[in-house]
Amino acid sequence: MLKSLSRIVSATARISSVSSSSRVLEPLVRSRLCSPGSATIRPFTRSLWMMSKSGPGHRPGLFTTCGRVPPVSCGCGGLHTEGDKAFVEFLSDEIKEEKKIQKNTSLPKLSGGWEIELNGTEAKLSRTVGGEKVSVTFNINNSIPPTFEEEPESGQKAEENEPEIVSTPNFVVEVTKPSSKHSLVFDCHYPEDEAGRGDGEEESDIFAIREVSFQPVGESDWKETSYTLNTDSLDWALYDHMMDFLADRGVDNTFADELVELSTALEHQEYIKFLEDLSSFVKCS
Amino acid sequence: MSLVLRNLQRVVPLRRARLRHDVELLRRIARIEKFDLGLVCVDNRRIQRINSIYRRINMPTDVLSFPFYEASCCDNLTSLTSDLPRDELNLGDIFLGVEYILTQCQESSEDFYSNLTVITLHGICHLLGYKHGSDDKWIEMFQKEKHILSEFNRLTGSRLEPLTTRFSS
Repeated sequence: MLKSLSRIVSATARISSVSSSSRVLEPLVRSRLCSPGSATIRPFTRSLWMMSKSGPGHRPGLFTTCGRVPPVSCGCGGLHTEGDKAFVEFLSDEIKEEKKIQKNTSLPKLSGGWEIELNGTEAKLSRTVGGEKVSVTFNINNSIPPTFEEEPESGQKAEENEPEIVSTPNFVVEVTKPSSKHSLVFDCHYPEDEAGRGDGEEESDIFAIREVSFQPVGESDWKETSYTLNTDSLDWALYDHMMDFLADRGVDNTFADELVELSTALEHQEYIKFLEDLSSFVKCS
Repeated sequence: MSLVLRNLQRVVPLRRARLRHDVELLRRIARIEKFDLGLVCVDNRRIQRINSIYRRINMPTDVLSFPFYEASCCDNLTSLTSDLPRDELNLGDIFLGVEYILTQCQESSEDFYSNLTVITLHGICHLLGYKHGSDDKWIEMFQKEKHILSEFNRLTGSRLEPLTTRFSS
């Protein structure tokens, strides 16, 4: 997970830098080379210029708001519009509804003696097993898979079919033996269900290992030069041995189910907090 | 071809590598390694549901087999491997009610993994078309299981007996 995240971030940075530089360069080149009558760039910039100009016969500005701006009453200097007011009212209702359906205000506990550390959307679970340190890290961001609502059956209301929101985050298991310079790291995930028999029963393992690697102890950055084993084309017997290895250290199907409950509760908690922060930001009070 | 193992339950701590090792040996002895085979470990709730849907018996059980081919193919299947396209080299799926099996083992003080192996072989024989509904069919299935388990016992030092022994009509 860590490695794939860093790869995504660096790829995005590369793409955005390439595209932004091309957008900057192209118009400059064209404006020198293009004739005054060229229709490529000028009509757009002229229309922008006209829209921003004030004076008689001038049409309403592109960058002025269409609605009336109520007078600022809080003295914050920020914008307060009718839209903002409606937004805040909507958020107030939304927060009430979310709190109503919130299963627990406190996070569920995991069996197996796991200690939990929270850092915003990231959670780290730790325990010691026979001298080995085992930690499981996950992030609730982007942890809710898309659900596709089915057509309601005859006689059944549509609301009864509404799927429950469940957070199934990717998680990274690190196993560190005493006096070892490297941790054995497993990148795990909750697989999408394989095709069932039409009886609604899923047939995937509850969780699966995606990648395995040795990483230096105490370093937060992923070491790209460490060999990473991908399980896509792995010998099944080796895979099963690794699953048994994890199970012996408390990362088994029971743990995976409890992690989903914890992650779902944490995600809901953070979502409500976000709505409250959003309401405060928009309301400015 | 592959043995696909899935563990969908959390009631019974399962040693996946051990189960795979034993079943792979059974496949080799039965000469069905070329066929894909699915092995799904489930709890009582799920096996009862499947039993209810497909056999109209609303109770948990030890094993349910879903063959890819019609029962009439039986042992001829193993000789058809050269005629079948690769994606049709599939025996089917076996659902193991591991919670049910564990309870039975605890009641009779038997080894859980030995029973898993015997019950899986029983399921494999059903996928190959063997049944035990009549005396003749029971004898045929018993002999098949006995033959495979004899070789398994010789190779592993185990002393496993066919499950069909318990189905005497």
